[in-house]
Amino acid sequence: MASTLAEFIIDPAYSAVVSMDEQGLVTAWNPSAEATFGHKRDQVIGRPVAEVIVPERLRAAHVEGFRRFLASGEGRVLDRLLEMTALRADGTEFPVELTISALRDGAGWSFHAFMRDVSERKEAEREHDRLVAELHRALRGSERRFEAIVGSLGDAVTIRDREHRFLYANPAAIAHLGFSSWEELRDTTPAAIMEDFLVFAEDGREIRMEDIPSVRILRGEPAEPLLIRTVNRHNGAQRWNLLKAAPLLDEDGEVEATIMIIEEVTERKRVELQGIFLAEASALLASSLDYEQTLRNVAELAVPEVADWCAVDLVDEDGDRVSVAVAHVDPARLDLAKELRSYEPERLDPRQGLGLVFRTGQSLLYPEIPDDLLVEGAVDERHLELLRAVGFRSALVVPVRLGDRILGALTLVSSDSGRVLDEFDRKLAEQVAARAAVAIENSRLYSQRSSIARTLQQSLLPERLPEIPGYELASVYLPAMEGSLVGGDFYDVWSVGDSWMMIIGDVTGKGVDAAAMTALVRHTMRTASEFLTSPAELLARVDATLKQRPSLSVCTALCLRLQDDRATIAVGGHPLPLYVTEQRVSAVGEHGPLLGAFAEVSWQDIAVELQAGGTLVAYTDGITDAVGGTGTRFGFERLCDALDGVGDRSAAEVIGRLSEALAKFQTGAHADDTAAIAIHRVAAAAAAEANASEADSHASNGQNHDRRLAGARHGQTN
Amino acid sequence: MVRPTEFKITRTTTETGVTLSITGELDLSTVAVLAESVGRLGGDGKQLTLDLSELSFMDSTGLRLLIELDQQARREAWKLVLIRPRHETAAAVLQATGADSALPFEDPTDR
Repeated sequence: MASTLAEFIIDPAYSAVVSMDEQGLVTAWNPSAEATFGHKRDQVIGRPVAEVIVPERLRAAHVEGFRRFLASGEGRVLDRLLEMTALRADGTEFPVELTISALRDGAGWSFHAFMRDVSERKEAEREHDRLVAELHRALRGSERRFEAIVGSLGDAVTIRDREHRFLYANPAAIAHLGFSSWEELRDTTPAAIMEDFLVFAEDGREIRMEDIPSVRILRGEPAEPLLIRTVNRHNGAQRWNLLKAAPLLDEDGEVEATIMIIEEVTERKRVELQGIFLAEASALLASSLDYEQTLRNVAELAVPEVADWCAVDLVDEDGDRVSVAVAHVDPARLDLAKELRSYEPERLDPRQGLGLVFRTGQSLLYPEIPDDLLVEGAVDERHLELLRAVGFRSALVVPVRLGDRILGALTLVSSDSGRVLDEFDRKLAEQVAARAAVAIENSRLYSQRSSIARTLQQSLLPERLPEIPGYELASVYLPAMEGSLVGGDFYDVWSVGDSWMMIIGDVTGKGVDAAAMTALVRHTMRTASEFLTSPAELLARVDATLKQRPSLSVCTALCLRLQDDRATIAVGGHPLPLYVTEQRVSAVGEHGPLLGAFAEVSWQDIAVELQAGGTLVAYTDGITDAVGGTGTRFGFERLCDALDGVGDRSAAEVIGRLSEALAKFQTGAHADDTAAIAIHRVAAAAAAEANASEADSHASNGQNHDRRLAGARHGQTN
Repeated sequence: MVRPTEFKITRTTTETGVTLSITGELDLSTVAVLAESVGRLGGDGKQLTLDLSELSFMDSTGLRLLIELDQQARREAWKLVLIRPRHETAAAVLQATGADSALPFEDPTDR
């Protein structure tokens, strides 16, 4: 995952991206970082970040801050926009703007800095300050000189009297405030101008007239520069402005007028916000392989940063859309969103909207959504009512694509905020979609790998059980839930000369490796059974084979040899099989050690005579370990209860009864594989020799545990 | 999902080494938590004690972890001590698989 992320996200990033580990050593250095700092990637990987990019006089503070974070988990510099001084390879220093994210995974902390050289902007700011100073001087000079300087300024400059009336506005200010001439502006009150805009501070709170710096100066208050976001109520355009004001004093030192400079910083501010948003979205998408959940998180992140409403749809194998996530700035409106969704067909119209994006792979931006478009798109009156209730202002649909493959689409809608989505938003959404595509693909590859392992495991089960004269066989196999890498129950039945061998077991391992182990165990068993007749010796053989594997390979197994009416049983770390007759249910056999695990161990053969009508049930711990509604386990007692009274029933009926009891008990999917096999000695074949004595007497070697004792030894009391 | 006992690992450090006391159920869903806790200890202790006396349930994945730790301890020459579960259901699995006698188990001391 890490290398894919680096390839797709970090390398092509516009910002310089530098990652470091807990030791403070460089672990990633993208091409932008090479250009910004003048160091090649190979020269810096593994070197301390402090030495490479932090000027010497600041190093001690950097190291101390880093040490404090590792010790306390508190980082003052994380996840916000900072300005710092950085060092180039040639020893020169320059200003950078950066955000730092800290991620924690199995390998510990890692830190990722997204940096941008802001030397040019700093230079422009200095130039700007110089011009303002010039303006102050000019105001004391001639009108003409003043006009010549201020009139040509790119920034909007206004001068107002004590009643907030405009005394002067330069051409940039006239245009900025949405007027076509000085006269028109002069005749409009400042309050009327404010009414044309929704004005917010950086933290989202609404700004009123009295918060404007020039107005505060008139009240005699200090006027810090104020960063505001405005949304034009008429055209929905969004801007970021930095307002700076200064008083103009008369000869007595009284405030005569205020001068205000409105510097438009929309581009810069949005780049900043984009950087932070993308860093957060990337971290979210990389945080989990459950891509549906991460897409929901990303949708929620997009609201209200980018839009009022965000939806994520994916395309399934049949080309139909699957809705994955819907987030709305106002959670109460989600119901509206859901009702609207019910109007949308699974098969989309390939000529417009989502359908068009799925088909062409090109994003669509609707800056304005006129009512006509809603009327045209509505299916019925209620639908139109819902569409109008949303208050669509503008919409943006971008494909989630990987190369030529369209995986889905991201839909962003602006409504209540009144702002219009633009090309900038389109670029941002496309970048988020690109990251989402990588996350989805990684997740799909992962689940594919897991399902390959699962298929392999299941292919190792016999397609059908053989027919054994005088016996009936039935089995059940319930694979662990999708996506689980743990599992590996198996069983097999085969004939050797005039007897039959049965094995059931549980490989403790993961994925493909578990499947390989299963194959090894079965193969060893089958081959060794050609020359070894004792189940205990067969288990010893498997044990020896498993111990030769390079990594720890352990397995539980129950091996049974069936000859005429006698079963010889050896058990290695596996639940003892149950012998079920009309009279009772009892565990038979003797516990032996797990296979592949311990040195100097051996197993024991226990012979059991099978009465006509009696059934041996062998199972894996997936049954007893199954979890029910209140968190209790199915356990040995419930297993015995399920089998109680099934004596003399066919093998299929016994397995059916067991599956039914388990299904009734269990909530949710199987966490682990579950397998059981029933061997029923048919009554008719042996009717003549059947006697009425109790099952106990048929277990010839005495190792016939009473149900209660066995329950205590291997079951679960809840 | 409601579980009868909450899975919890408590760490105590003594002169002889580190003890991790585990309560609750050690199964598919919790075994990774214990593995991580053990992994995070690094190789600084001379002795690691896993106190399983309050363990209420253990499945084969939990057992596998104990076997791995035992092999690791032999390989790296540090001492592993396991304290026997008091709960019958957890103890039964150890007995049924032979782990009870093959792994370095000790009885819990009375409190």
